[in-house]
Parts: sequence; structure tokens; C-alpha cells
Amino acid sequence: MKEKLYKKELFLTVLFFIVLLVFGHFAQLFVLFPGLQGGSMWGFPVHYIVPIVMGWFGLLIVTIIMAVVLNKFDDDMEALADTFEGKGSNKNK
Amino acid sequence: METYEFVLPSLWMGLGVVILLFAIFYYVGYRSAKITTTAEDFYAAGYSIGPVANGLAMAATWASLATFMGVIALIYALKAPFVYLWIQWALSIPLLTLLYGACLRRMKAFTPASFIKVRYGNEAAIISIIWMCLAMVMYALGQMIGLGMAFEVLFGIDYNYALIIVGIATVGFITMGGMYGASYNAAFQMVVMTLAIVLPMGAIMKTMGSSGWWFPPLAYGDMVPQMLNVIPDFFDMKYDYRWYFALIPAFTMGPIALPHLAMRIFTSSSVKSARWSVVWFILFLGLLFSGTYTAGFAGNYFTATEGMQIKPPDMTIFALNVFYNPAIVAAFVIGGAVAAGLSTIGGNLMAISGLIGSDFLGIIRPKMETKKKMTYGYAALGIGGIAAILLAFSPPAFLVTSILWAFGLLATAVAPGILLGVWWKQTNKAAMMISSVVCGAIYIIISPHVLPNISHGGQSLVAKLGMSGAMVTVPLAYASLVILSMLFNKMGISAVDMDTKKMIDRIHGWGSEYDERRYNGSVMPAAVVVICVIIFIWGLQPW
Repeated sequence: MKEKLYKKELFLTVLFFIVLLVFGHFAQLFVLFPGLQGGSMWGFPVHYIVPIVMGWFGLLIVTIIMAVVLNKFDDDMEALADTFEGKGSNKNK
Repeated sequence: METYEFVLPSLWMGLGVVILLFAIFYYVGYRSAKITTTAEDFYAAGYSIGPVANGLAMAATWASLATFMGVIALIYALKAPFVYLWIQWALSIPLLTLLYGACLRRMKAFTPASFIKVRYGNEAAIISIIWMCLAMVMYALGQMIGLGMAFEVLFGIDYNYALIIVGIATVGFITMGGMYGASYNAAFQMVVMTLAIVLPMGAIMKTMGSSGWWFPPLAYGDMVPQMLNVIPDFFDMKYDYRWYFALIPAFTMGPIALPHLAMRIFTSSSVKSARWSVVWFILFLGLLFSGTYTAGFAGNYFTATEGMQIKPPDMTIFALNVFYNPAIVAAFVIGGAVAAGLSTIGGNLMAISGLIGSDFLGIIRPKMETKKKMTYGYAALGIGGIAAILLAFSPPAFLVTSILWAFGLLATAVAPGILLGVWWKQTNKAAMMISSVVCGAIYIIISPHVLPNISHGGQSLVAKLGMSGAMVTVPLAYASLVILSMLFNKMGISAVDMDTKKMIDRIHGWGSEYDERRYNGSVMPAAVVVICVIIFIWGLQPW
């Protein structure tokens, strides 16, 4: 259980780190793959508006998922730590 | 081309809005002073700020006077690529929270230096305090100069008088309120800033003929065809891929180490609440930033369609409001800009106060009683503010270098020690100190601001902003910290002790349950070295 939680913590941290970078730097995809440029969305060129939307609503969705998943992870950690130290001794306050 | 110079239509209306705002800030500061009784109250608002207020305060602390002035002028000059540069600032607090904020909140740190002191010892903490204070002084100084210049242009007061008036008024309410005041004032300031950007832009867009006036941040697409007719290169991605990639080491990894942002996480009522604060932060910051991009677009559109160049470009948002909106609206926008500058200065001064009043004094006078520590915190806050005002009269050239450049310095000299310190038990104290001092010095040396002749990137914008330098020194700092740590640990030089290793497990939430293998592997540091060597070689190529 300890090992599983530890691996999960590393996995979630690396995963969210990469996902955050991708959403915050979405413009890079349009430079790396110029073929993606050329379309339009809401009247704007896609390579302008998509990075703005991803850097706002995209990141908003990612941070909501991050809060839910990592807070749930903390609950699991607390439950495990309680088994070692007695209930209520490791609240994340 | 004809020029359009900004002139405030009603001086008294503008002054009235600013005085009213200051009255509110002082009231909040006064109320906050009454509930500040301990060091925890003073430095971390008693660890009590809820997610919505904290999210607003985070966004206000991060969004500086530049949101109203500098950014719009730079969009005017660089067009769409500068928008891409600005979008990624939103990553600062989410990454900070993910990578170490939650861990440091668990140990109830006041600043990142509190962690460095426990993790590496006093000498390493002093090095980090110096780097972070340098960045905070540059930051606060920039805001102070900006406010002085804004008051000079807006109200026609001499710069020196403007600086004294606005400087003292600002330092007064921030010193009075401590972190409670800084937090609640910042939350209110964010509301003012957002309203001041978004609502007037709606009216401007309507007059400009856009059908998307009902949602200025994202609905101005119908203005694009006309914009392309007059400024065909507005949306061009004009730089090569390395320019966009360099934003990561220079501007994404640097703000992670900004103490005034980290302190916003530490004020949260719990680790879980801190994560929800980040969600609100993204929502509010996205709204404000998108409004700023709209203002930058509208400034270019105005010049192209009206045939008039706004002078000075820093005043674009005010000029647009004077041109299209009633005088009271222009006055309210000025209030928004003032709020933006003050919220950031508040964060900067609180960080200086925490670094000096708590961390530094904690090192030289470890047995100081809490009450006295708080008194020194107030003193450090006030002195930091006065120092920023005095420096702003005749600012040293080096300190008025763009604050964006200082982010690369923090990414090089401070962030690696914090991140590897949290995630890798083998990170060695001597290695951290050497890597921080040497790589930080290299970053300064190869920048065009100190020794222009040996600047990496010449006198180009990428060099001035620190992008070319950070592409070299940030990977060098991480790689050298890993390699030196391995070497020093093998040689038995300042090897990591068991208490420190246990502390690392504890701040990750394991309580007293210790496992030597945790955060102690070799795959992560090896991967860091490989990735950093590749980026380092890429960064060394001529710009």
C-alpha cells in the first residue's frame, strides 16, 4: 500500500506537471506543427485564440481535476498515516 | 502618422477615485491590524484565508501595474507573440502548488527560505534570501517607479512629489495590515482591476463596431478581418521554435521561486483549500489577462483604423477610455491601474518582511521571542517600502532592468534548490550553495545588463529579457546540482542527515512513517541531467 501510494504521488506529480506545461504553452504546438495554423475559430486565427482559451479554460479544467485528484490522494495518505500513528494525528492542516 | 496624446479629462474625478480607493485600503489595513496578534497572523494571515479570497489575492499579487501599462504597450510593439509570452504566467501558482507549495504549507513555512533553512542550513538560506530579496526589491522598485510615473502623467504632478505621495500612502496601509491586510486588500483590488479592464472594454468595442461587446475577453473576432487589412502581421508567429521554448526555463520555472507568490499558498486555511484557491486563481487571472489582450488588440486596431499613434504606448488603455468613454469611466480605469500596482507592492513588501523579519533574524537571533519577531517584521516591511521609495528617486540602472529578467535569475539560483530539495533526498547542501552562487553569477555575467560585451544573445530582446541566458544557466543549475550532490555525498562532504531526510517524508504527508528509499532514487535525477544537458547545448547556440 505504501509503495503504491508513493508511486502514485510521483506519477500524479509528473503527469500534472506535463499537462500544465502543455496547456500553458499551447502556442508551441502551432510552431512545431505549422500545418495546424490556417483555420479560424470565433473569427480568430486558431493559433491565436486556442492558446488563449487553453491558457484560461483549459488550465481551469486541469486545476479542477488536480484539486479533486490530489485532495483525494491526500485523504488516502492521511488514512495510511493514521494506521501508523493513531487516528487524527496527520491531518493536512 | 498623427499622434494621440493622453490627457486626463477630469483631474478631480481621477483624484477622487484614487482617494476613495486608498480610504478603503486603509480601512481594511486598520481592521486587519486589530486581528494581527501573532507571527502566524502577521506573516501568514493565521493560515486562515479561504479559497475564493485567496484565489483573488493570488491573481492580484501576480497581476502587476504592467497588466494595465507595460503589457499593452508590448502587444503594441511585438503583437501576438507577446500574448503567448503572457499566457504562460498563469502556470506560476499551479506549478508552485503542485511541485512544492503543498509540501511547504504542511510544514507551516512563512517563505520558501524557511524551508531552505531547515533543508540545507543557515548559510544556504542566507544565499537564497539575498537572491529573493534582490528580485523583490527589483519588483517593488519597478512598481513604485511605475506608480510615480503614472501619477505624474495622469495628474500632472512632478515625478518626485508623486513618488513621495503615492509611496508613503502605499507603505502606510501595507505596513498597518500585515498579511491579513495584504490578503483582503489584494482580493478587493483584484475585483477593481478586473472590472476596470473588462467593462470599459465592452463599451469601447461597441463604439468600435464589434458585435462581441457583451464579452470583451473573447468575442472580438468580428474585428479581425479589418485588423488584418491594416496590420497583416498582427497574428504572425514570427520567431523560431527556440524562442517559444525559452519561455519555459526563463519565465515558467522562475516565478515558481517568487516568495510573494509562495506566501499566498502558505496563507491558505489548509493544503486542500490551497489547491482550490489555485482553481479560483486561474478563473480570475484568465478573465483579467484576456481583457488585457483585448485592450492590446484594440490599441492596435485604434491606430490602424483612426490613423493615430497613441503616445506614450504605456497609456494605451487610458487613452482608449478617454477617447471612447465618459470621464468617470477613464477615472475608474486609473483606479484599476493603481490597484494593480499596489497589490503587487503589498506582496513584495510582505515577502521582504518575511525573508528579513522572520527568516534572516531567525538565523542570526534564533532565540528571539515571537512578539519581538513580529515587531521586527513590521519594521522590515516599513523599511523595505521606504527603501523602494528612496531607490525610485534615482534608480540604479541595474535595478530597473525588466523584472522579467529577474525571473530567469530566480529560475537559476533559487528554484533548483527548492524543487530538488523537496523531491530528492540526496540534494546536498554544499552542492546547492555552489550551484546557486556560480550559476546565478553566470546568469548575471552573460546578460547584457552588467557586462554588455560578453552578453549571450548580444543586445537583442531575448538577451534583455533573460531568455537566452536562462536557456543556458537554468539547465546548468539543475544538472550541476544533481552531479555535485552525487559527488559530494560520495566524498562525505556535508552529507544529508537523517533528520533532514525524515523531514522530507513528513512534508510529503507521510507523518513519522519513514522509508529510506522514498525520494531517493536515481532515475529522476538522471533524467533531469540528460534533459538539462540537451537544453544547455541548444541554449548555447547563437541567437
